[in-house]
Amino acid sequence: MRGFGEVAERLRRSTVQVHSKAGRGSGSGVLWSSDGLVVTNAHVARSAELEVELWDGRRLPARVLTRDARRDLASLRMAATSLDAAAAGDSSVLRPGELVIAVGSPLGFAGAVSTGVVHSVGPIRGMGNRSWIRAQVRLAPGNSGGPLADAGGRVIGINTAIINGLGIAVPSSDAAEFVRRGPRPSLGVTLRPVEAGVLILDVEPNGAAAEASLKAGDLLLLSLDELYAGLDSGQPALRLRFLRGSASGGRLPVRETVVRLGARAAEAA
Amino acid sequence: MANELAAFSAELAGVVERAAGSVAAVHARPRFSSSGAFWRPGIVVTAEHTVRREEEITVTLPDGSSAAAALAGTDPGTDLAVLKVDAPGTPAVAAADDPAPGNLALALGRSEDSGINATLGIVSAVSGPWRTWRGGRLDRYIRLDLTLYPGSSGGLVLNSAGQAIGIATSALSRIAGLAIPASTVNRVVDEVLARGRVARGYLGVGLQPVELPDHQKGLIVLSLEPQGPAAQAGVLIGDVLVAIGGAAVADTDDIQTALETTGVGRAIEVQVVRGGAARSIAITIGERPRRS
Repeated sequence: MRGFGEVAERLRRSTVQVHSKAGRGSGSGVLWSSDGLVVTNAHVARSAELEVELWDGRRLPARVLTRDARRDLASLRMAATSLDAAAAGDSSVLRPGELVIAVGSPLGFAGAVSTGVVHSVGPIRGMGNRSWIRAQVRLAPGNSGGPLADAGGRVIGINTAIINGLGIAVPSSDAAEFVRRGPRPSLGVTLRPVEAGVLILDVEPNGAAAEASLKAGDLLLLSLDELYAGLDSGQPALRLRFLRGSASGGRLPVRETVVRLGARAAEAA
Repeated sequence: MANELAAFSAELAGVVERAAGSVAAVHARPRFSSSGAFWRPGIVVTAEHTVRREEEITVTLPDGSSAAAALAGTDPGTDLAVLKVDAPGTPAVAAADDPAPGNLALALGRSEDSGINATLGIVSAVSGPWRTWRGGRLDRYIRLDLTLYPGSSGGLVLNSAGQAIGIATSALSRIAGLAIPASTVNRVVDEVLARGRVARGYLGVGLQPVELPDHQKGLIVLSLEPQGPAAQAGVLIGDVLVAIGGAAVADTDDIQTALETTGVGRAIEVQVVRGGAARSIAITIGERPRRS
């Protein structure tokens, strides 16, 4: 179809490969601005120092500006100008059935294009109440962090995962908000959802949960989705009810604590 | 520059949006929902293999609300189940003519969490009547080259004009998703609503293809259901069936086809060779007992 080649080529020039310095693992990224801001997945940008390879083969050092592991987004900064920044689309008006194009380096093949349609848009059970784009595009490891674009080549999502063969992408509106406002507040804990609530497996020292005296083994009395909704609500503090085991056994009292959520990182870029 | 592409994209999304009002999510098995289509007002059709219970079935309607559904009946042979749902104002889909290989096909499903979903592909093969491994007969064999993701069986398969080619199922073929053709869905819905099931013809014989000394083909009766339709009509073990309803038989499929076209309760003329002599027997077709 006329126009498709140009659309794909433009998108390829706005797609980068992200290599970790250690040489282990690589993914894709989107050139967010012409002056060297790259958006990718947090799971692609694991090390602080990275190398970004442009479509024309140039390799530039990059450092991680911000990461949001929960939304699986990271922003990278490299010293460059006059890059082919991707055109931004509007992920809020996506309709199932719409054509989409994904570009990335699946299994190391740089600039590979796959196409399909939007499968559905909405939350995924167990992954919070935020919306995700599911797309019928063939992805493989290495596509992570790359762009998902509409028929006009405008970026509407960041390819993040593959579930049951469907591509899962973070909507570009979330990526734009992340770039603008930095990562969303985090508790600083490792969690496991259980029947009665959410179990804290580990607490990062100096994290928000540690400051509120939460410990590993505490059971938060709310669902993971409710917890994420609270963290995303923008409130400066979160009141949490929890149970803590005791050596004496018996009936446990429901305890309560207030977690102070740090303000979002100031202007990220 | 990319106007054509954008226009095509908008057209596809428009087809999905218009048909989405007739697609429901069906909750009739543990953990995973499936999809269903409002085939007629108040009648939802889904894939039988996704219906694992007969009671407490609910559907998520196109507007997101939940409604109770009553199982009107199933036809495992064609992998169709028919549900009655009280949902006034929910439009039913319009059926399409037979598709041709290469035609675009959109498969629509619904899930409670993320609403309507769509996949795009093409019709990869169309051929004449086809017997499923479950024993039913599809008026057309319509093979799809598109991915049926978990939960999309029972959903609508549309052509690019937004008309229903049929109902999607992943359970009738190992190699591809199929569309159960609209004409078959109509036939099954009619029968299920009238009788609660699709009656399949039955003679009560076990048959084996053989060749007679004069190179004529036939089917030898190896077993006979006691008091079955054939036994009551006087068929004996060792008889060789050579024709049914006036047509020669070479395979058990020929018998199935003859029983389907004649129908349960009617008499059918069978030619048998017994002890070298041909004779004619009229058998009243019975209904195959349902496995429980």
